[in-house]
Amino acid sequence: MEEEKKYKKVSYWSVVWSQFKKNKIALWGLGAIVLLLLQAIYSPFLSLDVPIVYSIDGKMHCPFLLELFNKNRFENTVDILFNAVMVVSPLLVALWFVCKKIFSISTNKTFVIFIAFVILVCFAASIVSEKLVKIGNRKYKEEIAIAKSEGKKVSAIFPLMKWSYKETDLEGSNPQAPSAKHLLGTDSTGRDVLTRMLYGTRISMTIGVVAVSIYMLIGIVLGALAGYFGGAIDIWISRLIEVVICFPTFFLILTLAAFIEKRTVFHVMILIGVVSWTGVARLVRGEFLRQRGMDYVQAAIALGISRAKIIFTHILPNAMGPILVSATFGIASAILTESSLSFLGLGDPTAPSWGGILNIGRQQGKLWLILAPGFAIFFVVSVFNLVGEAIRDAMDPRLRQ
Amino acid sequence: MWTYITKRILWMIPTFFAISLIIFLILNLAPGKPGGTLASGAEGQEASGSSRESYRVFKSQFNLDKPVLFNTRYALSDEQVEKCLNNYANESGKVPMKEVIKSQELLEDYGQYSIPSLIRILKKSEGNQKFRAVVLETLLQNAQRYPINAYAEHLDEKTKQINNEIDSENEKIRTFACAKDASPQEQEKAAKKWYAWYKEHEDRFKYSFGQKIGIFFTDTRFFKYWASLIRFDFGVSHIDKKPVMGKILSKLQYSLCLSVPAVIFAYIISVPLGVFSAVKQNSKFDRICAVILFMLYSLPSFFVATILLYFFSQGGDFLKIFPTGGFQSPSVDSLTTWEKTKDIIWHIILPLICMTYGSFASLSRYARTGMLDVIRSDYVRTARAKGLSEFVVVVKHAMRNGMIPIITLLGTLLPVIIGGSVIIEYIFGIPGMGQLSITSIYNRDYNMIMGIQLISAILVLIGILISDLLYALVDPRISFK
Repeated sequence: MEEEKKYKKVSYWSVVWSQFKKNKIALWGLGAIVLLLLQAIYSPFLSLDVPIVYSIDGKMHCPFLLELFNKNRFENTVDILFNAVMVVSPLLVALWFVCKKIFSISTNKTFVIFIAFVILVCFAASIVSEKLVKIGNRKYKEEIAIAKSEGKKVSAIFPLMKWSYKETDLEGSNPQAPSAKHLLGTDSTGRDVLTRMLYGTRISMTIGVVAVSIYMLIGIVLGALAGYFGGAIDIWISRLIEVVICFPTFFLILTLAAFIEKRTVFHVMILIGVVSWTGVARLVRGEFLRQRGMDYVQAAIALGISRAKIIFTHILPNAMGPILVSATFGIASAILTESSLSFLGLGDPTAPSWGGILNIGRQQGKLWLILAPGFAIFFVVSVFNLVGEAIRDAMDPRLRQ
Repeated sequence: MWTYITKRILWMIPTFFAISLIIFLILNLAPGKPGGTLASGAEGQEASGSSRESYRVFKSQFNLDKPVLFNTRYALSDEQVEKCLNNYANESGKVPMKEVIKSQELLEDYGQYSIPSLIRILKKSEGNQKFRAVVLETLLQNAQRYPINAYAEHLDEKTKQINNEIDSENEKIRTFACAKDASPQEQEKAAKKWYAWYKEHEDRFKYSFGQKIGIFFTDTRFFKYWASLIRFDFGVSHIDKKPVMGKILSKLQYSLCLSVPAVIFAYIISVPLGVFSAVKQNSKFDRICAVILFMLYSLPSFFVATILLYFFSQGGDFLKIFPTGGFQSPSVDSLTTWEKTKDIIWHIILPLICMTYGSFASLSRYARTGMLDVIRSDYVRTARAKGLSEFVVVVKHAMRNGMIPIITLLGTLLPVIIGGSVIIEYIFGIPGMGQLSITSIYNRDYNMIMGIQLISAILVLIGILISDLLYALVDPRISFK
């Protein structure tokens, strides 16, 4: 007994994490990703043309919460979804904290279920709100200004900047150069660039995560089937992979995107996801072929455990390492693909995408419209690449220190 | 080795067939209509008769009036046709416009297959003046056959003769026409003519079992496309009716001018860089190199291109050195060969930089890892122990094995070399393959899109084969057995 206690139980992932932590730059990268996510979620507090609270003659109004779900103000379902996350997240974090402290439920599994629950709730909230909330596009700033000029007592708390991403500022000739009013200037129709950049993070992040999830799902299922069962299934799936690999991916995405009449961000995600699963499928197939012959799998088969359970709870976790690495790189390349699409004018026309801003900048030849989105794309892509590389290095036993 | 290559090439055929099938299905089942401006002009029902007619001819020439995979129209029932006619006639005025247009389109597409049903419906519909007018109109339109290969440049005598016959018959059919608001008596008169005509040509519309099978498989878009594809004929462009293959070949030179130097430069820079940083692993040079390459690797090419244009082109605000785009100056014909070369180089420097930096960033990283794998191996140590100079050890011993992965990459670069870069060519206005593909997408030029997709698929297939062959060629440890 004494002997056993000397050896700490170390799981594979804690080893990887401890290796990862040694790479300081990658840690900064991970921090940047978390910050970007937070910024994406809480961007209404950073910039929106709706006051959080305002009072006219002592009468308090609080339109902020309801406006978050107003389809007229946020054209994109992505935005409504993020707003739902924003509203729900503090409550849920508090709930989780209570659960952990008082009921001491803190295993990994409950955490995963919890996250899934949060996503579900947010999805439901965004769908329901789309049906329920029907407010016109009220112009609070003008209302407040009019009330002020009428000599009423007015006070209002606004978000940091008072612009929404689709609001056009028609004072002055557009595109306006950066000024105190518009920190990064405006685009050719007079929309505030900084605000569009902030909301663009949402688009990029969702594209990256959702597109990669879609193709991970397809790739893992097909790869696992091929690798585990072998034989005819393997031959057919491998043929399918061979065929899909030959597709000119980017051109196919371009063509399909151009054919969809009312493009939304979700179309772009699905397109990227459906076309680029082959890499993951090959990876997973290889891993499964390797793992299948191992003793623990044979033992599981001998114990009579069902196939689905062996595939998903026994082998898959062991094959997860390379999948995670390719997912991280995949996010970076999905973001790049989306911004190239928007740059070519084949993205979602209503979404404030970074590629779209850059395209306007190219047409107008204005530096602030080029540099801001360009560096944003560069930053996000390099951060994801950095983290991906660090995870790969952390998993490589040859580089372990 | 030759058996291996033959085997691989034979495998390509079913793979290519599957690729073409999938891309064909995707394109044809995608919503929207082909042909860009031509189709959109004919979209409204109120479009003038002549443009409607030209749209119909367009559809039939490109087989767009046929079903995609299987044709069951030989068994068209009267009910199907009648339903379309009812929708199209829209007597109650309640049918939504979308449905009316759809029915009109469908009636046109049924073409010759709908004639027997139309004749029967014509017989039945006596007394209903308005409906009969629609039936007569449809009959007039569907009974006319189209000349074969109207867009072809050269026709042989036999087809010309057949086309003449078709023309004269169409001429005759056109005399059956009667006005939309004709009286029932006049309609009856026209109907009589139709019955007589139908009796004369009745056996044309009776299909034997063999014919039915033939129609089921062959009178479809996919079969027609493949029938010409076998002869390496990608059809003609929907927009300017020029052959797809010729258009692609004429654009190829521009893309090659850009991508071949780009790849060469990328290799020239990246191999020494990768080798050097691997030999001096963890040195200051290696680290700085790694950071710079990493940043270049993450820089989106369209951003770099836009920046370069802004700072260095005549359209920008700063150094007005380079042109804003294009491949050569408009006045190029008056120049001598030397000046022409200079002019082209002056034009392609900026796009060349954009195309080079991305690939050289990733190539250097490959070169470095490939080199690192071998530099610590025993045979390199042996070479050092023999007292060879460091240069000989690195260049002669280590590099040969270390460069294997980066050489095999050359094969996978083939599609990029020939296909060009869509984004770079779009930004710099270079009239190469990339720009051709994006304009064909904007114009919904189906044949062109299909052609480009299939050619790039073939290039990928060949590229994979080449890189496998190169692997065996440079690495004697790998054999085909």
